[in-house]
Amino acid sequence: MSNLNNLYATTEPELNKKAELPLVWLLPIIAILVSGWLIYKSASEKGPTITISFPTAEGLEIDKTKIKYLDVEIGKVTNISINEDLKTILVTAQMNHGATSFLNEHTSFWVVRPQVGLAGVSGLGTLLSGPYIEIHPGDGHEKRSFVGLKTAPVLKTNAEGKQFILETNNLGSMRPGTPINFHGINVGEVLSHKLSPEANAILLTVFINAPYDQFVRKNTRFWVDSGIDLSAGADGFKVRTGPLISILSGGIAFRASAQDSVSDIETENSVFKLYDTYDQSTQIVYNTTLKYVMYFNGSVRGLTIDAPVQLRGITIGKVVDINLEIDEKTAEIHIPVIVEVEPERIRKINNLDHVSDKDVLNRLINKGLRAQLQTGSLITGQLLVDLDFYPNSKIIVSNHPNQFPEFPTMASSFDQFTHSANIIMDKIAKLPLDETSKEINKTLKSLQQTSTVASETLHTAKGGLKTLDNTLLSTQQVLGNFAAGSSTQYQIEQLLIELTQTANSLKQLSDYLEQHPDSLIKGKKEP
Amino acid sequence: MTIKTARGQGLVRCHDCGQLSKIYLQPYCPLCGGHLQARKTLSLHKTLAFSLSGLILYIPANIFPIMTITNFGKSEPHTIIGGIMVLLNSGMVPIGLLVLIASILVPLLKLIGLALLMLCVYRQWQVNARLWTIIYRIICFVGRWSMLDIFMISILVSLVNLGGIAQVVAGTAASAFAAVVVLTIFAAKSFDPRLLWDNQPQ
Repeated sequence: MSNLNNLYATTEPELNKKAELPLVWLLPIIAILVSGWLIYKSASEKGPTITISFPTAEGLEIDKTKIKYLDVEIGKVTNISINEDLKTILVTAQMNHGATSFLNEHTSFWVVRPQVGLAGVSGLGTLLSGPYIEIHPGDGHEKRSFVGLKTAPVLKTNAEGKQFILETNNLGSMRPGTPINFHGINVGEVLSHKLSPEANAILLTVFINAPYDQFVRKNTRFWVDSGIDLSAGADGFKVRTGPLISILSGGIAFRASAQDSVSDIETENSVFKLYDTYDQSTQIVYNTTLKYVMYFNGSVRGLTIDAPVQLRGITIGKVVDINLEIDEKTAEIHIPVIVEVEPERIRKINNLDHVSDKDVLNRLINKGLRAQLQTGSLITGQLLVDLDFYPNSKIIVSNHPNQFPEFPTMASSFDQFTHSANIIMDKIAKLPLDETSKEINKTLKSLQQTSTVASETLHTAKGGLKTLDNTLLSTQQVLGNFAAGSSTQYQIEQLLIELTQTANSLKQLSDYLEQHPDSLIKGKKEP
Repeated sequence: MTIKTARGQGLVRCHDCGQLSKIYLQPYCPLCGGHLQARKTLSLHKTLAFSLSGLILYIPANIFPIMTITNFGKSEPHTIIGGIMVLLNSGMVPIGLLVLIASILVPLLKLIGLALLMLCVYRQWQVNARLWTIIYRIICFVGRWSMLDIFMISILVSLVNLGGIAQVVAGTAASAFAAVVVLTIFAAKSFDPRLLWDNQPQ
């Protein structure tokens, strides 16, 4: 036994060779490393815990609702509770480690839910998965409690482009998400709108995506491209429509100007005017304008603001204001029409530097330039102000007090026409129609008497005619005696035969006498 | 009480072919040429190392999600305990208990049992060797059943794969748990129950 034990004892140390120890014990070390690494990794992924308050917890679920940025999960909701004010809810979220840098003062959160609208469908993925909280990183100080946005901001995260400000007087159907077209391409959208500090305009913040933002240059024009634009002006009817989507939901369009080069690209947040219609936006803006006041005799019905001022048919300005004035002293009513003449529209030849545009215009007035109201379109009855030369006309200036110099006017051709028509009508009105009619009455009366007399005469004449009739009848009877076969006719025939014979013998006699005139004396010679 | 052991008689049994040989006349079995050892080599060391590894991996296996179930776009990670809680809460108590036993209790009890066995051998406690051998057999037998969870996950992962509608993805804990099960099986296999009997008074 002891022998064997010894044998066992001698072999035992051999089995416990130190060299084999690390080989087996590598396994726990590996296990420690692996689980240590796993735990460290998950612990290091855990970021800060944040709280966000939302108006409603609709669709949000503890441990299920994710917080995503660019569709990458960066945290999840761990708790939802009612806020202390009992009006909002408080979402507690566990963020990932990488999200720490996002959690700043201007970071915004909103809940993404499926949305279906005219402008498109978004967030369809959340139909199945339920809503999630989207984050848009901002700058500022680090922060851990946030107030969530009620609605998703229109601006897509990290979209490249520029923001611009559009100034308009009427918001119309524009709202966040209204598309902005550039030659029909949807290149941006309205982000927000606010009233200007002076409350005289509405400032729309719009976003133009790259690369189209480079076409927003110095002379770029924005206009409202929504709906059907039916305009009736001095130049007739016009219908213009935007894209169908704009007709339905409104839109803004813009176009670059050929005058601009790349150097004219506007910087972010530049302010542009938003024109109400395409036509307005096409009008060139002239920087130097001369304003005049015109007093027209008679009605200005049909003359509207923006009506063109034309010189021999070419537009050189427009009407900017039409007022009604009363002079309390003289009780006279004036209609001052303020017009804006844009001298830049007129190309200059033989330019004289020291002569101002105003002087030039004054010279033209002295040469007989007068303003007239003329009908621009017979269909719409719109009036326009026409300038032309009437060298013989006097400069008629009313000298009513006005801040602008007065432009001499002339009665329009239509006015002249109505004026002469009036004169004719007046003359007609002045004719002694009453007396004339009296005379006519008298004449008619005597005429009546004459006709009575005539009627009596005719009656007498009727008796005469009867006598005549009788006479004709007896004549007929007389003539009947001479009818064919009557004895009278026969006797007359006989008489005529005898007369013929008599004439023949007379002829023979005369012939004989002609040949033998001596027979008158000597008598007839016996043959 | 005296127990006659093979080793006490100067005999060693070949682990491969069962041939009895005189102890350490030569280190190899005369029949099959296998390495002759009276007891499993480094039994306690190996068991302890495997058990410790299993214990260490048991921690990540329980704190990390064992699988992520995506149901209509909603991804929900589940830990082992979380899954059991869901099963129990949703009224499936038997299945919940089964998973609880197979996934939590069995590995844990196995580790405790092995630790006790090792302590018995190491401290040379005078215990009922027969009882502890039975415990050892149970540990050996029950070890493989802990793989139930892993099999279930692997079947689910391969069957439920409908993209965003329904999908099951195995998590970190699944690998850790599988490692725990395998390591505890190794630990049990590397333990030599005869060591229990060696401590018994001769």
